[in-house]
Amino acid sequence: MLREFSYAIAAIGLAVSAQAHANENLLELQENPEYWSTQLGNYQGNRFSKLDQINRDNVDELSAQWQFSTGVLRGHEGGPLYVGDGKLYIHTPFPNKVFALDLEDNGRVVWSYEPDQDSRVIPVMCCDTVNRGLAYADGRLFIGQADNTLVALDSEDGEVLWEAENGDHTKGESNTMSPLVVGDKVIMGISGGEFGVRGHLTAYNVETGEREWRAYSNGPDEDVKLDPEETLMMGEPVGEEDLGETTWPDEEWERGGGAPWGWVTYDPELDLIYYGTGNPGTWNPDQRTVDGEPADNKWAITVFARDPDTGEAKWVYQKVPFDEWDYDGVNENQLIDVEIDGEQRKGLAIIDRTGFGFLLDRENGELLVAEKFAEETNWADSYDMETGRPNVNEEYSTWRQGVDVNTTDICPTAMGAKNMQPSAYSPETGLIYAGINRICMDYEPYEVDYTAGQPYVGATLNMKPAPLQDENGMEGRMGSFIAWDPVKGEKVWEVDERFAVWSGALATAGDLAFYGTLEGHLKAVDIETGEELWSFKTPSGIIGNVNTFQHEGKQYIAVLSGVGGWAGIGLAAGLEDPEEGLGAVGAFSALEDYTELGGVLTVFTLPDA
Amino acid sequence: MFSTKASLTKMRGAGYSGVRWLVWSFVFTGLMFAASSVVAGEDDDDITDYTVEDGKVDQATFDGYEAYTRVCQSCHGPDGLGSSFAPSLMDISQSRTLGEFAATVANGQEIQPGQVMPSFADDEYVMNNVNNIYRYLTARAEGDLGRGRPDVIGEEQGDDKNKEEEESDNGSEE
Ligand code: HEC
Repeated sequence: MLREFSYAIAAIGLAVSAQAHANENLLELQENPEYWSTQLGNYQGNRFSKLDQINRDNVDELSAQWQFSTGVLRGHEGGPLYVGDGKLYIHTPFPNKVFALDLEDNGRVVWSYEPDQDSRVIPVMCCDTVNRGLAYADGRLFIGQADNTLVALDSEDGEVLWEAENGDHTKGESNTMSPLVVGDKVIMGISGGEFGVRGHLTAYNVETGEREWRAYSNGPDEDVKLDPEETLMMGEPVGEEDLGETTWPDEEWERGGGAPWGWVTYDPELDLIYYGTGNPGTWNPDQRTVDGEPADNKWAITVFARDPDTGEAKWVYQKVPFDEWDYDGVNENQLIDVEIDGEQRKGLAIIDRTGFGFLLDRENGELLVAEKFAEETNWADSYDMETGRPNVNEEYSTWRQGVDVNTTDICPTAMGAKNMQPSAYSPETGLIYAGINRICMDYEPYEVDYTAGQPYVGATLNMKPAPLQDENGMEGRMGSFIAWDPVKGEKVWEVDERFAVWSGALATAGDLAFYGTLEGHLKAVDIETGEELWSFKTPSGIIGNVNTFQHEGKQYIAVLSGVGGWAGIGLAAGLEDPEEGLGAVGAFSALEDYTELGGVLTVFTLPDA
Repeated sequence: MFSTKASLTKMRGAGYSGVRWLVWSFVFTGLMFAASSVVAGEDDDDITDYTVEDGKVDQATFDGYEAYTRVCQSCHGPDGLGSSFAPSLMDISQSRTLGEFAATVANGQEIQPGQVMPSFADDEYVMNNVNNIYRYLTARAEGDLGRGRPDVIGEEQGDDKNKEEEESDNGSEE
């Protein structure tokens, strides 16, 4: 009943608002397969290109055309944008330089921009001074600088058009995510989940930088922009008021995290934006209980569907109520249209931190599929499809085991079975392609006091490679690249890698999938089988995203290398081999044996015929 | 916590050697602070006189491990080994005396551009454990203590849940 009802609403909504609010310029650019105009390739977050000049038959001839050093040593996430004006736009980690490079002149610098930023923001960036890239619309580039300044630049000359203040580093806030332009708004989240920030997503006017709305991840409904009578949860109204306040002890929601620092996607037809929120405040679950019992800590680790004009929440789905493992829920929500039991549905797929691959109905937030894509996952056995809640395995419940108790061998680690590295989806194969992490952890919660601007973590971690299941896979691997069927909830193929695969994936109509490795190899694989067809060693480990575009009839592949991020912090020295027992000296492969720091853009194309 | 940072930040404009010189003058100020309040009467030998037996350690070394893991690991990587973000501290006891070490921790350091070691002067927990961290890192550097979480001599190993049951838990599902 309810399902049909919400369908009817959706259908009406569709007729009225179809494409009314998309940014017309950006939508046009996205529809042209020659351009790569948003970090995720399109509003739906698919990272798929219709270009097929570079394909399965000729990819072995792909060669580096030119390289460009960014001059910055820290981890380089995100990727280059191309909007058809002959220039490639790239960015760097702190100090967040922006370069416009001439595609026709081997990357000559057309203009560059370097803001003057307070380096005191650096220590409040938990996991390296990364930045996930630029956004573009109507001749403007947008970047969220580390020091919380959101900037609009003129794409012609790099002149600053406006600046907006999105946060305060003395409270532990910083910017790492890429903004998204929807209609006349620039949508921007915040980082600082390890510093007890109160997460928020904010819309700024694209012309002036004025703040239009801000929606918090916790606190009273008014602040969350949630109407308990209207906002849906598992297909029904939330019902209870102010859950963002009542599911926390005392005033703990004020430092309740839920920082949205990942990607935002957008459905122009439903006119809804989608994003996920991060971990709830301190990692010590005991400090988030109510009357000594686990509490949901809403709305941390939650997928939000919001109206981009007003910020009002249409539906919510909390993936992990009462987090005990730091499973930030920020992973990208891929908008995909799928067929389930003969029925056409508007899906939303997530390769999640938790090790589960989710499929939701993106009109009402109903949970359709939740299956493990990383089979070592053990914190929960499964999801209850009625309630949408995980069936937590008590043995790995760090709250049940207790404060100052070291709960061992929890899979996946706090890094997640997949972190921020965005996945790709091919509408031709119906599969999702993703780089994943195969790392487990020991987790020991401890009591922590809150001081503004200081880490508010409250747990220690010890990471280790995930054990192989039934001896399947490469010995000592810490990552894989997988093809995932989001409807069946099944892995189709998997390629193991020595290190976590921390780069964004690309799928193309040339029957290829691309990804980068932490050692620095850019690889092309057969989209059907995962067979490696081509690889190139870039100067440093890749945590950036592989993008593609076409200029003057030539298809290019481009990627930023430059090792770092949480991967660089956790894996540089290698991990302990759990088989060797406590205090072993022997380590699993150390990243530092393969790569060093340094940001470089490499641009590839096929040789002239 | 960032009390000395405003002036540190300004120095970024100066030449490389100038930066280094200025930072050292900070270190020396801090050193006096460290000498008077942190080390208080003990000399380095007592502080670094750790005990390791069968991979188990004395309480002070364990406290150092714990403080390192809680506070320093997020930048300096696991077990003192360094990361892509901050240098290894494995050999710190060779390059710095306890006093110098304590001064760096108290004052912070910003020698390389974009690399910020925050000041911990206002962090009581860290300052109370500076000696223990140094002791732990010394045990690591000498090769007497391996990676991971050590147990304390004379204590039950009961705090580690799941250690023994490994085999039956993993691999059973799916
Ligand atoms: C926010 C990240 C961060 C944290 C947390 C941190 N450090 Fe550092 N630390 C750094 C960076 C970056 C450097 C290098 C700074 C430079 O280039 O001058 C550094 C340098 C140092 C140095 C000097 C090393 C050398 O060879 O010059 C010492 C000693 C040190 N840290 C000790 C510690 C201790 C002990 C802790 C925990 C109490 C700690 N650090 C926590 C980032 C951090």
